Amino acid sequence: MSAACHDAVATPVAPGAPLKVLLIGRPNSGKSSLFNALTGGRAHVGNYPGITVDVLEADVPLPDGSRAVFVDLPGVYSLNVDVDPQSDEGVCRAYLDKARAETGSRVIVAQVIDSTNLMVGLTLTRQLRALGMPFVLLATQRDVLDAEGRRLDVKALEAGVGAPVAYVSARGSARVSDVFESLARACVPPAPEDFDARALADAALPKRGAASPLRLHQTTQRLDRWLMHPVLGPLVFVFSMGSLFTALFMVADPASIAVEGLLSLIARGVTRALGEGALGSFINDGVLGGAGTVVQFLPQILLLTVALELIEASGYLARCAFLVERLLRLAGLGGRSFMPMLMGHACAVPAIAATRTIRDPRERLLTLLVLPLTTCSARIPAYALLISAFFPGMAAWGKGLLFLALYLFGLVGAGLASFVIGRVLVKRRRSLPFVLELPPYRLPQVPQVARVAWQSGVRFLRDVGTTIVAVSAVLWVLLSLPTLPGKPASGAEPARPASRTEVMNQSVAAHVGRALEPLTAPLGFDWRINVGLIGSFGARELMVSTMGVIFGIEGDSEADVARLSQSMRETKNAAGLPIYGAASGLALMAFFVFACQCMSTVSALRRETRSWKWPAFVLGYSYALAYVAAFVTFHVARALGVS
Amino acid sequence: MPHVARPPQPLSAMAHGQPGRICGVRMTPDQVAWLAALGLPVGEDVVVLRRAPFGGPLHVRAGSGAEFALDLDCALGIDVVPAAAFIR
Repeated sequence: MSAACHDAVATPVAPGAPLKVLLIGRPNSGKSSLFNALTGGRAHVGNYPGITVDVLEADVPLPDGSRAVFVDLPGVYSLNVDVDPQSDEGVCRAYLDKARAETGSRVIVAQVIDSTNLMVGLTLTRQLRALGMPFVLLATQRDVLDAEGRRLDVKALEAGVGAPVAYVSARGSARVSDVFESLARACVPPAPEDFDARALADAALPKRGAASPLRLHQTTQRLDRWLMHPVLGPLVFVFSMGSLFTALFMVADPASIAVEGLLSLIARGVTRALGEGALGSFINDGVLGGAGTVVQFLPQILLLTVALELIEASGYLARCAFLVERLLRLAGLGGRSFMPMLMGHACAVPAIAATRTIRDPRERLLTLLVLPLTTCSARIPAYALLISAFFPGMAAWGKGLLFLALYLFGLVGAGLASFVIGRVLVKRRRSLPFVLELPPYRLPQVPQVARVAWQSGVRFLRDVGTTIVAVSAVLWVLLSLPTLPGKPASGAEPARPASRTEVMNQSVAAHVGRALEPLTAPLGFDWRINVGLIGSFGARELMVSTMGVIFGIEGDSEADVARLSQSMRETKNAAGLPIYGAASGLALMAFFVFACQCMSTVSALRRETRSWKWPAFVLGYSYALAYVAAFVTFHVARALGVS
Repeated sequence: MPHVARPPQPLSAMAHGQPGRICGVRMTPDQVAWLAALGLPVGEDVVVLRRAPFGGPLHVRAGSGAEFALDLDCALGIDVVPAAAFIR
C-alpha cells in the first residue's frame, strides 16, 4: 500500500474481480495520448479541448500476468457543474456514475493531469477523490519538464493528494510501467481531508524565478504573436484553410480515380459472371454503385481527417476558433462550432459526431441543424456535371468562380439558417459563455495521427457506407421496376432485351418524376431531372450516375460525363427547343446547394439528437429552402435574359 | 509583487498586458462554477494578451499559466481588480 494512502480508510483493490481502469482528466491533459501509449493505440489523440467523442476501451495485459480494461473517457472539467448529458462531459459523468454503481468489477479512477499546468488539474482531483473510489494520479508531460531541467516532486504530490502518483511521458512508451505499478497501489484517498490546489501545485513544481514560463509556453507566445495577430492572423488562417482544401482535392482526386478503376474491374467481372440481366444490374448498379460512391469518398475523408488532426494536435485549431468566433457568433453559433463546420466541408457525418465537443446544448443543436448546408465533397461531382452541362462555353476561371459562388452560397445559407432558426425555433439563451482553453503548440505525433485516420475511415465505412449501400439498393428497385415486358408476342420476332435507359423510362421513379413535373416545372425541371433528384435523394453524388442511366450513358469517367453533358445540352422539347437552358442549370445548382440529399446525414442527425423530429425538420426546411432558391434563381435568370 | 487596490472593472475593459485579479463574476452560479472549473475562479490572476478583430473574443492568460479565449459577453461579466504588476 502506498504511504500516501490513509491507513484507516485505504481500501486496496480486491483481487479476483475483473479490473477496469477509467482514464479521466481535463481535455488536452494528455489522456488519450497516454491511453495510446498504454494500449498500443486505439484512441483519438488531440490538442483541442474535448476532442475524444467516443468512450474507447482496450484490454491490456498487466506485468503480473493479469489483465485490465482501460477506458478512455471524454474530457471533463468538473463533476459539480450541470452539463448536457449528450455532451462529452455528460457522457463522461454518466459513465463514472455507472462505474460507481458497479459491484461485480474492480474499478480504479486514474486521473490524467498535465504536469505543466498542475493547478487547474488538481481542482478536478479534489472532486474525484471525494467519489470514494480507488484512485491514482497519472502526471503526464514528463518529457517537457525533463527537457527544461524541471522535476515534479512526486512525493509532495502523493502526500498532498493522498493517493499514488505515476510521473510519466505519454510520448513513446517511456515510464508507462510506472502506471501499472501505481495501479497496484491504488487506494481510496482519505475523503475528509482536502488540499489547496494552488499551494500543492507550487509545492510539487516550484517555480524557477519570479516569472519564468516554460519554454513550451515561450514558443507558444512567439507563434501567437503572428498567428493570432489581428491582421496577419486572419490572413494566415484563410491561406492555410485554402491551401488545405486545394491540397486535399489535388491529392484525393488521383486516389479516387484509382479506386474508381478498381471498381470498374469488379463490375466487369460481375457482368461476365452474372450477365446483363436484372441480377447483374442490381449487383453492379444497386450494390456496387453505392459501395463505389462510398469507397471513392474514402481518400478525401482520410486525408481531411489527417489534415485536421495535424492542425488540431498542433494546437492551431483552437486558435482558428478564436479567430472566427465573432463571425460565427453573428449567425448565432460560437467558436466551438468551428471545427464541425469545417469538417462539414468534407463530410457532414463525422462533423455531426464532432458537435459533441460543443458544451452549450443550444449551440450544439443549431450547429447540427445547419451543418447539412455546408458544401460537402459529395456535392462536387454534381456541381461539376451541372457546370459542364449547362455552361459548356464558359472559361475555366468562370467555372472556378461559379464553384466558389456555390461554396459561398452554402456558407451564407448555413449562417442565415442559423440566424433564423436560432431566433424562431431555438430561442433559449445560451446556457454557457464561450470559453475555450488554448493549449500550447506541440508537434503532432505521426503514428497517432495515422491511427485517428484509420478510426475515422472505419467509422465512415460503418456509419455512412451501410446507409448509402442500402439506399442505393432501394433506389435501384425504384429506378428499375416495373421493367419493360420482355416476352415476345406469338409469331413475332423475339424482343430484344430492354436497355437500361428504356427500363428506367418505364420505372416507378420515372412515373413519380413525371407526376412531379407540375411541381417542378416552375423551377425549369423536367421529369428526367426529377428522376435524377429522386436518384440522389439518398446521396447527392448519385445524381450523376442516375442522369447517366436516363440518357443512356453509363460510366463515371470524364469522357462519360462529357458525353452526358452533351446529351443533356442536345435534349429538345416537342417544339425543338433545348429543354435544359442555363436558367434551369442555375436553378438546379441552387437546389443542390440547399437540399439535404444525404440519408447518412439524416441517420447521423437521428443518432445525435435521439429523435426523428430534428432530422425531419432538417429535411423539411432544407428542401423548402432548395425549392424557393431554385424558383427564385430560375425566374431571376430568365428575367436577366440568361438562356 | 503585491497588487495595488484599484476600482474593479470588467475584464473586457482591461488594457492589453495589464495584470489584474478576478474579484467577482456576474453570472449564474452554474456559470461561475463552470469558469472556476476551467481555471478562472475568483481570486485568479489574469492578463489580457490580445483581442480578436471586430469585437471578437479576448485571449487571456491565467495565473496558472493556462490560456483561454473568452467571448466579449463573458469578459463583460468578469470583474477584475487591476494590479500594478502581474504577480505570478
